[in-house]
Amino acid sequence: MSSSNLAIEVTDLHKHFGKTAALAGLNLQLAQGSVGGFLGPNGSGKSTTIRILLGLLKSDGGTATLLGGDPWRDAVELHRRIAYVPGEVSLWPNLTGGQAIDILARLRGGVDYAKRDELLERFGLDPSKKARSYSKGNRQKVALVAGLASDAELLILDEPTSGLDPLMEQVFTECIRKVKAEGRSVLLSSHIFAEVEKLCDTVTIIREGQTVEAGRLDDLRHLHRTVVSVVLDRDAAVLATVAGVNDLVTDGFKATFTVGEEELGGVLKTISTYSPRTLVSSPPSLEDLFLRHYGGAGRAQLTTTQVAGAR
Amino acid sequence: MNTGTPGTHGATRPSARWDTMTGFLLCVRFILRRNWLRLLVWAAVLAVMIPVVYDSQQQAFPTQAARDAYAQVANTPAVAAMTGLPYAAGSLGGILVIKIWMTLAVALGFASIFLVTRNGRADEEAGRTELLRSSALGRHAYSMANYVVAGGLSVLVGLLVSLLCLSVSLPVAGSWVMGASIAGTGLAFVAVAALCGQLSTTSRGANSLGVAVLALFYFIRAGADLQTHGTEVSPLSWFSPIGWAQDMRPFGQDTWWPLLALVALTLLGCALALRIETTRDLGMGLLAERPGPSRGSAFLASPVGLVLRLERGSLIGWLLGAIVAGAFFGGVAKAMTTALDPTNPFAKAFMGNSASVLDGVMSLFVMFNGLLAGAFAVQCLAGARGEEANGRLECQLAGALSRSKWLLAQLLVAAVGSALMLLIGGFLTGASSNGAATGRDMAAASLGYWPAALLMTGVMLFLHGFLPRLSVSLAWAVYGLSALIAMFGPLFSLSESAIKATPFGAVPRMPIEDFALLPTVDLTVIAVVLAALGIWRFRTRDIVPE
Repeated sequence: MSSSNLAIEVTDLHKHFGKTAALAGLNLQLAQGSVGGFLGPNGSGKSTTIRILLGLLKSDGGTATLLGGDPWRDAVELHRRIAYVPGEVSLWPNLTGGQAIDILARLRGGVDYAKRDELLERFGLDPSKKARSYSKGNRQKVALVAGLASDAELLILDEPTSGLDPLMEQVFTECIRKVKAEGRSVLLSSHIFAEVEKLCDTVTIIREGQTVEAGRLDDLRHLHRTVVSVVLDRDAAVLATVAGVNDLVTDGFKATFTVGEEELGGVLKTISTYSPRTLVSSPPSLEDLFLRHYGGAGRAQLTTTQVAGAR
Repeated sequence: MNTGTPGTHGATRPSARWDTMTGFLLCVRFILRRNWLRLLVWAAVLAVMIPVVYDSQQQAFPTQAARDAYAQVANTPAVAAMTGLPYAAGSLGGILVIKIWMTLAVALGFASIFLVTRNGRADEEAGRTELLRSSALGRHAYSMANYVVAGGLSVLVGLLVSLLCLSVSLPVAGSWVMGASIAGTGLAFVAVAALCGQLSTTSRGANSLGVAVLALFYFIRAGADLQTHGTEVSPLSWFSPIGWAQDMRPFGQDTWWPLLALVALTLLGCALALRIETTRDLGMGLLAERPGPSRGSAFLASPVGLVLRLERGSLIGWLLGAIVAGAFFGGVAKAMTTALDPTNPFAKAFMGNSASVLDGVMSLFVMFNGLLAGAFAVQCLAGARGEEANGRLECQLAGALSRSKWLLAQLLVAAVGSALMLLIGGFLTGASSNGAATGRDMAAASLGYWPAALLMTGVMLFLHGFLPRLSVSLAWAVYGLSALIAMFGPLFSLSESAIKATPFGAVPRMPIEDFALLPTVDLTVIAVVLAALGIWRFRTRDIVPE
């Protein structure tokens, strides 16, 4: 991939807050016209990365390129071409939601009232209410409408659906698909696996400020084991001796195990000789990928990571 | 609690009344934990004024003859209006009351208002109260704890004042009344703040309302004290709790019963506030929210336009404050022109070596205009840090807005706003003085304080750049110290050159002194350098939310 068609290119990014290292060599790439998922537990450095990309924080090392520019030096020029939706939206309590939307949109360049009013309608938001009376979900809608009403080349969304109900999440999904169809790029930081699986072409998973997994979602799945559940005509313990079977759990005739891509054919051949009554094979879900990196060695580790990463 | 009501509900009903106070002591500890340093600083700063001012007055009036001479001339309209009737100016205790009583009482009133709002409405606005109330906490426990802690500060300050008066061998009865009258004023404003916190939905609104009520009570008693001849109390003073406390007259008649009225007002006010709390929803005030415009204009989205809109209420409030203060100062000057004989040698001795005693008083009023404008400048720019602290700045900077443009818009509003306040306040001081001075001259004299106000913006910008998290507290500390020295420098026995080295002290005291270019240029240059450093640093540092 040549750097010219990358909307975001982050290489070996470092950032410290006092003695705490928030980012320790983070890599992130987003091709233009694609939707990239950005996953990681709380405090792993997602928001710090995004704030560096927005020129709000200065990195301590490494390079970050946004739409071909330097996010710190060219902040103002770059911001005309991007839209940002924060995960925690703080609004001016004595202004209305409509005013806040227009202020944010105008700061980027201007308001497209037709688009804005259509989005207000779809999200069911009353723009004449004072922001202090909005719930978390409604505050989130204000930021979403302001961001989605723009024609920015790149949308940077930091957990944009937190606080939204499932109906509104659906509206959000449709909006992002439309953005993608228009050839625009989206960086989507999220905790909702279904959302990322539905929308994203690529995924970057980070942990403690470092990238642990990145690539096309399909490719990542290839690298991981398929989960197979079978019911055989005999004690399933026989599977223990079959080459390629891993993580075997048996319960009488029933068994669940994982198998790598290369060994799948051989394993299925062997199983067929045990005349299986049912066989279900499922590709690894994003959640599996995620848990593999965070929960693999046990839940305790995940908890420690969260504590250490939080500042 | 209850000695047994028969019937099925007997077991639960009696305690229901006290359920609303469940967790009260826990809340008291919690509030003390969050505010102990703040409380100690308030108590120490206020109490320490007593020995400092007492010492300086002992030096100024070493003999009874000197005090008697002072008593002859102390009863001027300016003294009556600003600090109350000088009913015992012939004694050291009475002089202490003239010099410091009103400052302490009003400052304690401010402390009560800010404390109650900070722990009350501000927390509710931020959603922290919701978190507390969702636990096993009585409905009134937290508010009651808030009022008790704030009231505790008043009692503590009163006690310290009394003990410090006793420690310098002032009369015993007067010392206790001195402390009690100051504590009583502080308590009354705990009740005022409690009510304001229930009426307004924002901490800013609650603070503004509280300060407005304090100003109103101050001006009512000022009007009352201006009305009277001699040292008799005007009935008008009974419309202000500050007036009640004044009429306890420490080191004079030592009257105790107005304290009962103050305590009764406190209890009634707090009880009413708790009553309102029962009837309203959490997070709401009594004043309902109206829908607003559903679109934002291009002007609103411009950096200056947004600051003007966000600070609209506060700008109007400060300008009104400048107008009221200007008119009040002019009124006092007018009263003086009729009451004061400028050839009186004693008057000359106390007001400065100028041809006109009136000019001395006018220069004092001009300085007050300057101090008001300086406070506005700090508060306005503190709003900029507020935008950064609560995360709203990030969304703005994520648009195509440069950091310097955003900050300069805030600076512009602070600078122009303070200049307007100086011009309006100064003009009214002169125009309403019935010929004591012209509006034009007083406006020009007040504008002389603009460099000092600009220096305050410079200090705030510098701190905002280098120490963002501490900037607001530190800027107010710098302002407070500067204001204190400008007002009470001589009382603290500071040398003239030391006073001249502080922001407000450096400004030539027109009209009693002539305009001087050097301090004006000095202040401006320092202000510009500090501001430039602060802006440079802000452009190169991380954005730090709270």
